[in-house]
Amino acid sequence: MRDLVLSGIRKDYGRVRAVDSVDLRLAEGQLTALLGPSGCGKTTLLRMIAGLETPSAGRILLGADNLTDRPAHKRKFGMVFQNFALFPHLTVRDNVCYALSIDGVPRAKAHARAEELLALVQLEGFGDRRIGALSGGQRQRVAIARALAQEPEVFLLDEPMSALDANLRETMQVELRMLQQRLGITTVVVTHDQREAMTMADRIVVMSDGLVEQIGTPQEIYHQPQNAFVADFIGRANFFDGVAREGSIDVAGLSLRAQPLNFTPGAPVRVAIRPERVQLGESLPDGNRIPAEVVFLRDVGATRDIHLATPLGTIIAEEAIGTGARRLDLGTRVEVNLPPEALHVFPAATHVPQAA
Amino acid sequence: MKGLAHLFMGLAAVVVLLPIVVVSAAALNGGRSMLFPPQDPTLSRFAEFFLTQPVWRDAMLNSVLIAAGSAALAVLIAWPLAYGLWREQGRGAQILAGLGAMPFALPPIVFGVGLGFFWGFSGGLGSLWTGIISHAVLFLALPLVTISIGLQSIDRAHLDAAATMGATEATAFRTIIAPQMLPYTASGFFFAFVLSFNEFIVMFFVSSSAYATVTLQIFNSLRNGFTPTMAVGAITFIAVSVAVFSLVARLGDLPRLMGADQTKS
Amino acid sequence: MSAIEDTSALPAEAPTRRLPSPRMLILWALIVTFCVVPFGLVLAISFGQKIEGAAWEWAFTGENYLRFFVGADWPESRTTLYLNRLWYSIYYAVIAALIAVLTAFPFAYLLTRLSRRAQSRWLVFLLATMSLSEVFIVMGWDILLSNRSGLPMVLRETGVTAWLKDVGWFAQLREWGLANPRDVKFKTSMVATVLTMSYLVWPYAVILLYPALSRLDQSTVEAARTMGAGPWTVMRTVVLPTVRLPLVGTVFLLFVFLLGTYVSVTVFADPSQQTLAISVYEAVRGSTLNAPFGAAQAVILLITGALCLWLGRTLVARTGTPA
Repeated sequence: MRDLVLSGIRKDYGRVRAVDSVDLRLAEGQLTALLGPSGCGKTTLLRMIAGLETPSAGRILLGADNLTDRPAHKRKFGMVFQNFALFPHLTVRDNVCYALSIDGVPRAKAHARAEELLALVQLEGFGDRRIGALSGGQRQRVAIARALAQEPEVFLLDEPMSALDANLRETMQVELRMLQQRLGITTVVVTHDQREAMTMADRIVVMSDGLVEQIGTPQEIYHQPQNAFVADFIGRANFFDGVAREGSIDVAGLSLRAQPLNFTPGAPVRVAIRPERVQLGESLPDGNRIPAEVVFLRDVGATRDIHLATPLGTIIAEEAIGTGARRLDLGTRVEVNLPPEALHVFPAATHVPQAA
Repeated sequence: MKGLAHLFMGLAAVVVLLPIVVVSAAALNGGRSMLFPPQDPTLSRFAEFFLTQPVWRDAMLNSVLIAAGSAALAVLIAWPLAYGLWREQGRGAQILAGLGAMPFALPPIVFGVGLGFFWGFSGGLGSLWTGIISHAVLFLALPLVTISIGLQSIDRAHLDAAATMGATEATAFRTIIAPQMLPYTASGFFFAFVLSFNEFIVMFFVSSSAYATVTLQIFNSLRNGFTPTMAVGAITFIAVSVAVFSLVARLGDLPRLMGADQTKS
Repeated sequence: MSAIEDTSALPAEAPTRRLPSPRMLILWALIVTFCVVPFGLVLAISFGQKIEGAAWEWAFTGENYLRFFVGADWPESRTTLYLNRLWYSIYYAVIAALIAVLTAFPFAYLLTRLSRRAQSRWLVFLLATMSLSEVFIVMGWDILLSNRSGLPMVLRETGVTAWLKDVGWFAQLREWGLANPRDVKFKTSMVATVLTMSYLVWPYAVILLYPALSRLDQSTVEAARTMGAGPWTVMRTVVLPTVRLPLVGTVFLLFVFLLGTYVSVTVFADPSQQTLAISVYEAVRGSTLNAPFGAAQAVILLITGALCLWLGRTLVARTGTPA
């Protein structure tokens, strides 16, 4: 197996530690997303994989080959840059066959390969265009084709969607994922957009402050966040601070049933619940039922957010429109249920959750 | 407000053009005096300047040789300097570039005196090649600036991209940097060319009266007064400057080269 | 790995220390030889000694500087001839630089408001006039201001001169040195010298002010206007404060450039009001032939210029930091 292995990777810029002892195994043919807020070190990590930065410590291996000291131009991992970095003085075709031309591949052969790649990204007949004449989406396709021309063993993408319009992003995410699956190429995508990561990735690596917070499939990351940071960064969550007890948690004078695993009674904890797991209505199952008052309503198409004032603080509940068809008005008094199995309990104050 | 603005700009242009127009007209004088309006208009001064008077012909040849030679040499020195400055961005490279620009920033008469001594000691005072080197050093700052401006426009991500596609630093230089830098290099060459063409104080000290360029020839005969033949030189020089700078404007983005904001269109 | 560990201990992102490449060493040698040594020679020779004839010899004497400040016969007699010349160098350069910047500023501002295409055309025009040799410019002004065919003639022919005499302003002009007993004259006069010098640097002034003005954020101007500021208020409260530093910097640069002006001064200035550049020329290559003394004067000129560049920079740096 030609897995890409990072072991003990660290990167310091002076006193600033950009990446701190990262250990990762990126399985061959899989798409891994490095996900985190800006400044979390994900791009630095990607650039170290590409060979554009030298790690301060640690090793990078591809299968049995140690790549740590191999410069970028000898690794030849195809990379798509944030603003695509297409060469403005070359045509689309010359951009795509750049790697081949500088390698001394005969012109005719290189051009034929460029046509194949342009067809792959659905840009047949664009070979003679100037880069300046392309739209954002077309530029991205050229950048992808160009990075694939050298048939790289590893394909790297740095925030590939950030230069695109919002509505184009979703299409390109699906397209890129399908292309990657067809080619079966080991791929690493850096992104700060959790939807993008979940759309494309086999595995997601959540990072913050240079550290890996959690590694897992999109489902694991979403449903079983391992800490408050991940719960907050991936999707949305309501947070309360409380104290762990045997089989329950004390929050704001109320006792919530929950599974505070591995907490000594009396330990401060942080509890999270996803808005879509908050239940409200008349016939609620037994659980943690608390009184609430509707303070704000926000219809966002398929779902509706209900902001509720409760003894625990403001809770946001999300429900699919059409299921309940209940009329809710501002000021309506309701009961909400926080199902014990939906409550995630984390140690308090390991991370200050950042604004999502 | 808009009309007033145009009036002001027009007026400024007229004042700037006034002496140039007057000199051009004076070239038509039939006599030996610089009169305006010209007396007995004739074109024979042009023939004198370009064809019949060897003094002016030789001077013109020297002017062209020195301007072209020194501009080329200045570009050759400026390139590694600008590239080193851009690549390493260290304190050393900065000091080096500052020293390189010093002759241009300080009064030329002082540098001229210094070069006069310099070539006097090293032997070479009064040779054409020392004139070429002197002007190359004096105007080194110009290609240094244009090339540096050009290099700043190169996206470092392009070099990273090239590296991930297998390009070594040398290959990236050849395929990415050099082609994009052509207009800036040419601009630097032409700036140096035109300024060398018109310079005379430094040339006065390093030529040691062994040869003369057109402007130096005029400078040397300053005490005897100006003649209409010199005015022909003035016309030629203005024409060359306008042609060269028009070419620079064509080659690249002149407003950007002069430091305008790139994003504005 | 140890080399990398070492750099990580540095406070900032320092590029890995490399020995200077041979290419850089050659460049250093070249630049020092041609850009620094000539100035060094001027300095060294300024301490030299004139000997019989036109020759000089190495020495280490302060005589030349003494002569500059107090004259050769000090302490018997004291002459300020050369200090006077330095004074005129500075005086002309300051006034000409100020006139050039004051008139170039509105022009440059209006220029940056034009379309990119129009700007490009104006720049060609400005660069062409900027690079035009001083000898040609002086030639033009010489014709324009000469007593036989220029402005004085126009004034005489149109009767303005006669009118000036009638109203009695002619006497005032004579007092200013702008008229001889019969006619208005500009050659020689301080007005002509300074005007020609400011003409000489005017395109430079526009080109130096152009970057700052063209980078001026137009939305700040628009914001001020939405708050009720008229064009002049905008100019005074938004534009001028933003470009104050480049404005000051430009005055200093032009000043240094003008310190060495030669042709304009020889042609238009009265012999009693000549500058240091002229006497440097005369000492090194002209009539007086005293290379060490010429070098000393060049050093003084150089120091004046360098001092001004330094002053300009610190001024700009100091006022620039709080922003």
